[in-house]
Amino acid sequence: MEEVIREQYSEREKQSIFNQEFMPHINSMYNFAYRLTLDSDDAKDLLQDTYLKAFRFIDSFQKGTNAKAWLFRILKNSFINDYRKKSKEPSKVDYQEVESYYNSEDVDRQITPDLRVEALQDMIGDEISVALNSLDVDFRTVIILCDLEGFKYEEMAKILDIPIGTVRSRLHRARNLLKEKLSEYAKKMGYKNA
Amino acid sequence: MNSPDFSKMKKDCQNQRECFEILQSIIDGEATPQQKEHFMKEHLEQCMPCYKSYHLEVAIRELLKAKCSQHAPQELVESIRKKVIENLAQ
Repeated sequence: MEEVIREQYSEREKQSIFNQEFMPHINSMYNFAYRLTLDSDDAKDLLQDTYLKAFRFIDSFQKGTNAKAWLFRILKNSFINDYRKKSKEPSKVDYQEVESYYNSEDVDRQITPDLRVEALQDMIGDEISVALNSLDVDFRTVIILCDLEGFKYEEMAKILDIPIGTVRSRLHRARNLLKEKLSEYAKKMGYKNA
Repeated sequence: MNSPDFSKMKKDCQNQRECFEILQSIIDGEATPQQKEHFMKEHLEQCMPCYKSYHLEVAIRELLKAKCSQHAPQELVESIRKKVIENLAQ
């Protein structure tokens, strides 16, 4: 917790903040934990650790500020510090490398799949979920934060500790990669031009 | 949005990369009202690739929302609540 300002909440206030500001986000937080770890047991542990941590550091939460963003940041930091190392995920790609690769114009030209809305409408199973999970964790994360949770770029920059420009470009790349995956499924489903 | 006259639309977009960035800002609610107005009225209805791209992005987002949100198991929620109350009691 880097915030310098610390509140001094009474026990009663702590409980009320926890119940009214933190608990309402528990489903979004679980989903984030699950999409990061890709394992429901790890997700449960990560969620519980995060909520207990949030409670322990409740004095550094300022009432009236965005509780959801504050919680997401703790969860993401816990994931990096405690889970990413032992995660079953094989993706140990150097992130800078991935980023500069996808920054090249070549890749942009290549990734313009002619995916059609009609093909998407036929994806009634877990295709999109599988496609999302198959992305590198950093790309997966920005899609979850933006498209599922509706965070603003500025909030995402704070949650992820990256500049807003990086949020934008990472999202751009993530969306193109997701479309590429979806386009592969669409082809398998028999959409010729998908 | 009304369906535009497809036969009069441009088949290619010269600024696809820039357009995609503006389009992304619009969908994410980050564009200024002027940017949005200009793009939606002046460009989108005249440019086939951008028109398609916009509707595809919207559809993907809807699909993500419908298919990728998992709820926390109820017993986990209860267990977290209980642990916090125990914490308070200490």
